[in-house]
Amino acid sequence: MEIKFGLISADSHSGFDRNAFTSRMSAAKWGERIPQVREVEENGRKVDRWCVYGKPRGDHVGNCPALMGEPFPTYPQHWEEMPVMGYDPAERLKALDADGVDAEVLFPNPPGGTFFEHGDAEFELDVVRAYNDSLAEWTKVSDRYFPVTIIPYLSDPGTIRREIERATAAGHRGINLQGETPSPLPHLTDPYWDPMWDACQSLDVPVHFHGSCGLSAGRSTRFWHGYSPRQGHSAMTATSATTPAQIIPHLVFSGVTERFPRLKFVFAEAGIGGLNYVLAACDHEWETRHLWTEGLSTRPSEVVRRQMFTNFWFENEGIKLRHDIGIDNLMWESDFPHVTAFYPRSWEAMEDVLQGVSAEDRRKLLYENAVRVYRMDAVLRTAEHGTETVEAHA
Amino acid sequence: MSPGRVFVSVDDHVQEPPDLWTDRLSRSRFGDRIPHLERDTDGAEHWVVDGQPLLGGKVASTGALMPDRNREPRCWEEVPAAAYTPKERLKAMDAAGIAYSVLFPTVAGMAGEAFGRLDDPELESACVQAYNDWLLEEWASASPRFIPQCIVPIWPPEAAAAEMQRAVAKGHRGIVFPALPMHLRDVPHVSDPEYDPVWSACEEMGVPVSLHSGASPHLLYPAFSGLSPALSDAVDAVTRPMSSVYVLSLLSFSRVLLRHPRLRLVFAESALSWAMLYMEWADHQFEHDGLAREGYDLKPSEMFQRQCYLTAWFDEIAPFVGYLGEDHILWSTNLPLTTSTWPRTRETVERCFRSVTDGTREKILWSNAAGLYDIEPAAPGV
Repeated sequence: MEIKFGLISADSHSGFDRNAFTSRMSAAKWGERIPQVREVEENGRKVDRWCVYGKPRGDHVGNCPALMGEPFPTYPQHWEEMPVMGYDPAERLKALDADGVDAEVLFPNPPGGTFFEHGDAEFELDVVRAYNDSLAEWTKVSDRYFPVTIIPYLSDPGTIRREIERATAAGHRGINLQGETPSPLPHLTDPYWDPMWDACQSLDVPVHFHGSCGLSAGRSTRFWHGYSPRQGHSAMTATSATTPAQIIPHLVFSGVTERFPRLKFVFAEAGIGGLNYVLAACDHEWETRHLWTEGLSTRPSEVVRRQMFTNFWFENEGIKLRHDIGIDNLMWESDFPHVTAFYPRSWEAMEDVLQGVSAEDRRKLLYENAVRVYRMDAVLRTAEHGTETVEAHA
Repeated sequence: MSPGRVFVSVDDHVQEPPDLWTDRLSRSRFGDRIPHLERDTDGAEHWVVDGQPLLGGKVASTGALMPDRNREPRCWEEVPAAAYTPKERLKAMDAAGIAYSVLFPTVAGMAGEAFGRLDDPELESACVQAYNDWLLEEWASASPRFIPQCIVPIWPPEAAAAEMQRAVAKGHRGIVFPALPMHLRDVPHVSDPEYDPVWSACEEMGVPVSLHSGASPHLLYPAFSGLSPALSDAVDAVTRPMSSVYVLSLLSFSRVLLRHPRLRLVFAESALSWAMLYMEWADHQFEHDGLAREGYDLKPSEMFQRQCYLTAWFDEIAPFVGYLGEDHILWSTNLPLTTSTWPRTRETVERCFRSVTDGTREKILWSNAAGLYDIEPAAPGV
């Protein structure tokens, strides 16, 4: 890759061709349980859905409203409506060029990023491998893609560790986690998971929590029978602002960040302003309760600035606090091709947010921090050229 | 007021004494179901109501007043007097610079939620009324510097409205409402129109409703069970205010605020510094989801600006006041909880109000709260 535009999305969503799993999993072993697109009847209407373990998921067959045109937002109901750009990595490069984006970190899209729900560890492991293999192929198509690994929760921590190592060797650059581990597995901060943290720290790949990341806290307030679908979507999405404040205190106060001081955590699609609260509140409790006497030697705000990163895309106000939060901890994201994306006007929207921001800060926010967090320098052709281009663009 | 008393604290807690309910509820009618303290063989005491633990099986929650604030009292003899006697509390208030203190319960639930879990509405009502009467008799009558707030039975709405009307007529000046009653027992969702009599009663009486953080376990992400009490409590203290985000979102998007334009909501123990992100995001999402076309007259930030208040106690003000505005932020101490700024409250105030104009400081420390709770309008020496 090269820095041609000077803009890297630290949170975009990939896609899967309808045969992505059937071509990688044993039909003899799993049959119709393999994730696949099938025609199902829904409210008396024939539609296509991704089916996993024989059960349909979601109310669409692809989550790509940014590519669907008017009326907005539209979600494809039949595979024929799926834009090729929504699942083909070579075609998608045209979208990146049209939007002026150099590279993307890739999060899940239908059929989804979790497969533990069926309680079948062997099935989960095979799907997870197929998922990770499918996105590893994207990195062979273009070095502008940085997929994030999903993990087989129901397998033992040693197997999880080996899957992270395998996927990283194949081109992945980080893992994506649920905010709460699936019940009845141990708590996210139980030392049970230390092999997973150790693998990510050793490989220097970040751990991600995306959006509300399956947190059950407050879930009941996001749903109310009186909401229309759009009202419910607004009520649900905006409370993702709480995610860093829900998870960081657990990681810091339970000592995960003491045990793994070089491990990076990224909060994708959670906004940046939430980090203000985390910094102030964790420091307040650390001071008030003298938590250095409990084995936490480092002030929480120092831990957060050392190890935590978060993404912005619409926050005119939040960006003004970039130095309070930590200018080195913030990255731009597009969320392409989801509903909140500004595609194909990412630059225009970003210019609005970054009014009055210095050239040096802009470089950090728009791509330098992402290059560092995801170690993209290993595949960068010329950094010098990139800097010049960005200044020309600005 | 003396010049040393610099602010109105809109969120402090009283510690209910062992005889509060046993003195006021009919023994012949309720027997051992009345809230009382029980002593274990090792001498530790804990609250019980109707055979169920209250206050998480503790005797009190007074960490900030303890010699080691990571160690809560084990029995009533260890509970500091400033937690439960008005006279001693006034001395602490003088030391902290608190002119007026708006009172919340402890044993009855930090958010007034504890008795809502009872299956028996008669026992619930009796416990609620006893607390409301006791707070007036023991605290409000001891000094005008205490601002009493009543708790309510959660269902039916007519009973909640009747009790708040009774309590306000006797002198209560705010309502402590457990934000999500449907999490306490099997009652309708709080956004349903069945609750309109409750909100309407508050509008008509002109008293603010306080929604304290952590009203329901479903709003919280519990800490890992292997942590020490100090670390576990620290996790809870940081994550608990996030429950205010969920409640604010719910009451905005489900139109409760639109249906009741004169309702004033105080988000107690909410903290402040998350609010700018949430508000920007809610407006952004409102726009992307086209909600102006779905019958909302106001954006989420506009509903907030019309009707809601956040309460800070350790947050810096300057970074947020420009966007949130100075009219909807209140100050608090959180006495005597461990998260309280006590005994360094005065220096915390100075730190948090750095680079803030005198006018803004006066509003947040005094006149915003004075308007809500009908306190003398001008602050001495702020």
